[in-house]
Amino acid sequence: MTKSIRSRALKTAVGLLLAGTVTANAQDVVIWGGFPELTGYYERVAESLSGKYPDLNVIVEPIGLRDHEKRVALGLSSGLDDATILELIGSTANRYIVNDLIQPAPEGVSTFVNDDSNFEAFFQETAKVNGTVYGVPVFRGQGALFYNTDMLAAAGLEGPPTTMDEYDEYAAKLTQRDADGNPTVSGWSLRLSGGGGGIAEKFWINLHQYGGTLLEKDGDNYRAGYANEHGLAALKQYVDAVSGVKTVTVEMPADAAAFQREQTAMFIRESWVIGDTAKKAPDLNYKTAVLPRGSIALPVNLYVSGGSDEAQTAAWDFAIAANEPEHLIWMLDNVGWLPNRSGVDYSGVVAAKPQFGAFVDLPEDYVFFTLPSIEPINEILTRFAAHLVDAYADESLVGNDAAMLEVLKASAEETNKILNRAGILAK
Amino acid sequence: MLRRKQFWFAIMAILPTFAIFGWVRLFPIIETLRLSMHEWNLLSKNKPFVGFQNFIELFGDNQFMDALTNTAVIAFGAMAVTIPMSMVLAAIIYHRTRSRFSGFYETAVFIPHVVSLVPAAMAWKWIFDAKLGPLNAIIMGLGGDALPWLFDPVLSVICIIFLVSWQTLGYGVLIYLVGFRNLPKSVFEAAQLDGANGFQSFLYMSVPLLKPITLYVSVVTLISGFNVYAQAYVLASDTQGAPGRQVRVLVLDMLENSFQNFRVGYAAAEAVILLSIVLLLTMIQFGLLRGKGGR
Amino acid sequence: MSATDRARRTNFLLDVTLFVICILLLTPLILLIANGFKTPQEMLVWPPTLFPKDPTLENFHKVFTETPLLRWMLNSFLFAILSTVAIVATSALAGYIIGKFPFRTINIIFILFLATAIIPFEVYMIPLYFQVKALGLLNSVGGLLVGYLVMSFGIFLIRQNVIASIPDELLEAARIDGAGELWIFWYVVLPLLRGPLAALAVLAFFQAWTAFAWPIIVMTRKKSFTIEVGLANFQSAYTVDLSLLSAASAAVMVPSVLAFVLLRRNFVEGIAASGMKE
Repeated sequence: MTKSIRSRALKTAVGLLLAGTVTANAQDVVIWGGFPELTGYYERVAESLSGKYPDLNVIVEPIGLRDHEKRVALGLSSGLDDATILELIGSTANRYIVNDLIQPAPEGVSTFVNDDSNFEAFFQETAKVNGTVYGVPVFRGQGALFYNTDMLAAAGLEGPPTTMDEYDEYAAKLTQRDADGNPTVSGWSLRLSGGGGGIAEKFWINLHQYGGTLLEKDGDNYRAGYANEHGLAALKQYVDAVSGVKTVTVEMPADAAAFQREQTAMFIRESWVIGDTAKKAPDLNYKTAVLPRGSIALPVNLYVSGGSDEAQTAAWDFAIAANEPEHLIWMLDNVGWLPNRSGVDYSGVVAAKPQFGAFVDLPEDYVFFTLPSIEPINEILTRFAAHLVDAYADESLVGNDAAMLEVLKASAEETNKILNRAGILAK
Repeated sequence: MLRRKQFWFAIMAILPTFAIFGWVRLFPIIETLRLSMHEWNLLSKNKPFVGFQNFIELFGDNQFMDALTNTAVIAFGAMAVTIPMSMVLAAIIYHRTRSRFSGFYETAVFIPHVVSLVPAAMAWKWIFDAKLGPLNAIIMGLGGDALPWLFDPVLSVICIIFLVSWQTLGYGVLIYLVGFRNLPKSVFEAAQLDGANGFQSFLYMSVPLLKPITLYVSVVTLISGFNVYAQAYVLASDTQGAPGRQVRVLVLDMLENSFQNFRVGYAAAEAVILLSIVLLLTMIQFGLLRGKGGR
Repeated sequence: MSATDRARRTNFLLDVTLFVICILLLTPLILLIANGFKTPQEMLVWPPTLFPKDPTLENFHKVFTETPLLRWMLNSFLFAILSTVAIVATSALAGYIIGKFPFRTINIIFILFLATAIIPFEVYMIPLYFQVKALGLLNSVGGLLVGYLVMSFGIFLIRQNVIASIPDELLEAARIDGAGELWIFWYVVLPLLRGPLAALAVLAFFQAWTAFAWPIIVMTRKKSFTIEVGLANFQSAYTVDLSLLSAASAAVMVPSVLAFVLLRRNFVEGIAASGMKE
């Protein structure tokens, strides 16, 4: 290229480079969320603030969860330009707090969160580190049983199963088979394949019903808590279902889509299934029920970082406004995630959509568990999941308690090694 | 003297490109590779030096070994499918250049290369479906047994090879087509006069003459194969309530280690191992596929 | 049968084979387009139907009114054009040098270029992100471009084509005639590289068009999204709104196909017609 063409091209290039640069003004607040379906909810909250902050421009930027986590990691570690409200699961936020990348919440917000009439202790804890409030709880993911009432009636079963033994019984009775005895409709759809920690999480939910836990807490340290009779009971349930009685197999359709197609009679999942089913299978006859002992709860909180002091104040006000009962009720009704705030009257929603009952009308002694806020939690879940996937497909484990316990012990050793590497293994 | 002048011209001419490379590629990559000897959780200010600890740990990490094996199989599998198929397809399309359908052929072969994978994957999940997919239907029609394509550890890898090849075929065909078009006509005219038919001239003349192009397709397919990620991710996701087995591949392992396990140094060590292996394989390919002039 | 008849019959058979192969290759995409016209209820049906029983335009309507899809396509287009120009320019010259000036230093540079292609982009994009952030180029086309100014495979492609189709004698002859190196590059080499450069342009264009990993961390404002990033928006926490996503992907396929056909007709095709060097 000759010199003159090159320099002309360079000038054009620089001009184009700066084109499309999008910057925010001082009065802008950006919301980074990992759940695109919440856009409508955030927009409503923003509108409700337009009276108090007429110049406020709230920019809602939700994106898929995996990419959201990446975006937050990069943004926080290099510093955020605009005042940004970050929607984060408590355990993820912990990482940033521990590295001084998220600052404590201002006093007004602290008071709001610490008020027992606003949030139960469980949710307050998720927003705190060492007693200091860093964020505002907003909603959570929580599990419950979904069951097809038509299929239950056809099998002569009254009401949902209430103990793990009943789950096994129901699964066997509800499985429909073909002439060769292979299941065509699974009694109880289990998460048996696919990637990542989700498999371990689902296992943990069952483990929890047996009174067990994946990780035992001991002061500030942890150890693997599943290589025992509880873990064995949970693993046995899976192995028997897949390889023993064969109420479900790895190749069968699973999860919400299978439930909506009536290819499975029951499964455990979060509240988003209700909205999804209303869209895709509105004529499905189903109900929900609470789990025998308790459920996983994955609380999501709102944190604020970056931007001018003015914008930050507006951002915190937004976080508190997001907890106004009218917005929370709208969220439950239209999106399906469960608000964390206490004392909100959801009866209107539950009356119109009774399936929400199993998520909000909980027995007094319902025990929640959540993912511990430790750095290696994802790795522990993913590696455990790999062992589980192999165990589920292993027919030789049927009736072989000793072998199953070995599998759990081997994995527990790995879990403890990871905890040790992170310096938080309990002695 | 002439050589000197040429040398300086070469250096000067390549300098701007090298400078850009240095800034956007070499510098970040060297940074990343340097991290392989450190421990860093992406967020903290300190990155302690740990020597070869990451590498030692990697060799005992069966998830990493799994990923390495799977990725290697996928890469070689994709190469084995793509190179011959794209060369043959390109030869046929080139032969039919004057047909009014040539545009359709080229476009049809290329489109899979540019389509978004997530929505396309649903079609693939159906194709591979154990009970209801057309692939098993064809196999059973031919007298075989239905296979659990998406769940078996070996078969699921083959599914990914299929998916990768589907997308790289168009790439290969485009490159070979250009190669065919640039072949010197005179040599072929002479061969035809000597009585060679189409197939013979293809096998004994085009293929050797296209060695430099084959080297390109081979190296690129191998490197891209080792970088496979989206295909594995998409087949394991549970769209339509039909999850597949998650085939662990290297990029998945690296991304998990960086962004979910927050062990950037560890992921960087994986990158170093990947670089060494693939660089070695690439050099071998250069050795094997030397065109005329020894290059 | 005469030679012409035989040729015609072979051609016909080849055409049929090619047709069948192409249809097979396109099957997943036909399903994708069909999915764009399905209601959420029909999307649930398994096995999926190739022809929607209850076709709806609702998905397309939603996609065009509720998301800035056209804006995303424009962003992608601008980005892709700029990236293509940069890549073709750098690859042409660098590929020629590496192909025809095999000095040891140059060879080492080539190995470096190729080695950088081996490391997956997702791995070294973290330091690159910090560099871009430091320059204030986040959320701008410039920031996007930083990752897409050069293409190792592009340089490699030109190198191979230079070796395959430009005889040393040609260059020597020009030098003996007294031509300067730049003159040789511009008037002798480039015209012979039109085909490969066109192919490279196509590949570079579509590399930028389908880019995801880099744009998603550089562009955080919805307005500045590129296509793949925007499409990722249709994935909510646990489900993918597949009918919307398919409609959007189908909509994006239209400009993709158009772009390919145009690029092909105007560049790649044109060379086939112009005489080959002897």
